[in-house]
Amino acid sequence: MPEQAIKDKTAIVGIGWTAFSRKSGVTTLTLAAEASLKAIADAGLQVQDIDGVVSFYHRQPEGQMVRELVRALGLKKCNFEFYSDGGGGWNCGAVLSGAMLVHSGICKNVLVFKARNRYSQGRAARAERANDVKGDAQFTTPFGIHHAAASFGPIATAHMARYGTTTLDFAHLAVTERSHAALNQKAMMRKPITIEDHQNSRWIIYPFRLLDCCQESDGGVALVITSAERAHDLKHAPVYIMSGMGGQGQTAGLWETNGVNSAPLLYEGAGITPKDVSIAEIYDPFTFMCMTHIEDFGLVKKGDIGGWVTAGHNRLDGTLPVNTHGGLMSEAHIHGLNHVIEAVQQLRPEGVVDDLCDGPHTYDRSTCRQVRNPEIALVCGECGESAMLLRRA
Amino acid sequence: MADYTKPLPIPDIDSQPFWDRCKAHELSAQRCGECGKFRWPPQAFCPHCYSWKFDWTKLSETGTVYSFVVVHYVSIPAFEGDVPYVVAHITLDNTDDQITMISNVIQCPWQEVRIGMPVRLVFEDVTSEVALPKFRPM
Repeated sequence: MPEQAIKDKTAIVGIGWTAFSRKSGVTTLTLAAEASLKAIADAGLQVQDIDGVVSFYHRQPEGQMVRELVRALGLKKCNFEFYSDGGGGWNCGAVLSGAMLVHSGICKNVLVFKARNRYSQGRAARAERANDVKGDAQFTTPFGIHHAAASFGPIATAHMARYGTTTLDFAHLAVTERSHAALNQKAMMRKPITIEDHQNSRWIIYPFRLLDCCQESDGGVALVITSAERAHDLKHAPVYIMSGMGGQGQTAGLWETNGVNSAPLLYEGAGITPKDVSIAEIYDPFTFMCMTHIEDFGLVKKGDIGGWVTAGHNRLDGTLPVNTHGGLMSEAHIHGLNHVIEAVQQLRPEGVVDDLCDGPHTYDRSTCRQVRNPEIALVCGECGESAMLLRRA
Repeated sequence: MADYTKPLPIPDIDSQPFWDRCKAHELSAQRCGECGKFRWPPQAFCPHCYSWKFDWTKLSETGTVYSFVVVHYVSIPAFEGDVPYVVAHITLDNTDDQITMISNVIQCPWQEVRIGMPVRLVFEDVTSEVALPKFRPM
């Protein structure tokens, strides 16, 4: 497979975010606008420089968000609007859509955003979804599946039976992600947890306990994509998009996700191997889902993930730091677009700006979240249904 | 039965025959009229050979637990009295592993459910119109 034609042709040049909370007190449109205005300013661009807008949702769109944001920002001209229903699988798909719009020449500067009031307003939406009995749901809801843990749990149970993975292994991932969030000013859950805390937390849906589950959040994030050429003249060093994919296929069994299909596209598309990846920001709605994604992207041998996270290889100074911001589990659930923001922060020359370092990065893990000199980041969405490789300038 | 408050399936054109046959206590699925493969969930054409010819075929009443979860926390109040309950992927016998359905394993303590466990079909008449196919240990 040849390298992808889009390799290094586009870059992420601006990032922005709102506070992450359980009660934003503002509309999702306001969250979207705040994050977007910050991302545009971070890029050193003017609002009217934006000529493409992309977002995504899961099942229930947050209104006509893309169209409403174009209007709210007062854009005089938008060459392309795209609002996709790929859900948590689509964080990288949204970014790649923006990159393709730029690479095609249809747009010059594309804004990609995700905003939600999923904690404060999510209960009603979840109840509506829980009672869905049409389409595929006619074969699941009547049998008592109305929670993501029941949809994804069988993947974990199958992996446990096949490879001997245990819920104690899950605990190590939860504890490590929380330790990263403790160094992240914008993370919603920063209080350290222990293995015992995890093992003593109540069952939600076996094999997942409370501390295996991600949280719901109010908040917004946004980023700006432009061409590699234009990126040179902007405020920050660009973070290049090397390769990516967005879609799904079939796998050998429940113990594998679509990551196994995505991985070769990413690595061959970028002309690298899994060994070249410095950090990974991996979709983590549940501890185990993050773990199986790490395997399916070829970063750890299939079946070995339990021992790998127990040994702490995913820590900030480990062989492959994973979810350096705390992930959906401990930072916030902004549908994984917050994972992209973290990758960009880590890959910029100045590094992350919202850890506890006062001044230059110290790499002291009581205050500093910056990984030492990361060059390439892998980011993926739910089940590896979209993924991409980013690299520093 | 009149006080059954849990969500009931809303059949569509493709799935109506499945639910009708469940009501008559027969578990069935479509089998391609050209390549002979089973398919699940119901759809109008074969996902293997794209033929539009098919027959509704009675399935085996036995199967195997392919994977499962145990629900301790529910989002729909009507299920609160059932926790903990088992939701499993059940692969039906004699389908060449082509049919794996989601259902409940009942009449069994949740701690005893295992992947690979053989199970047998049992219909629950939850209303006068709807019967849900569930499974119990052999």
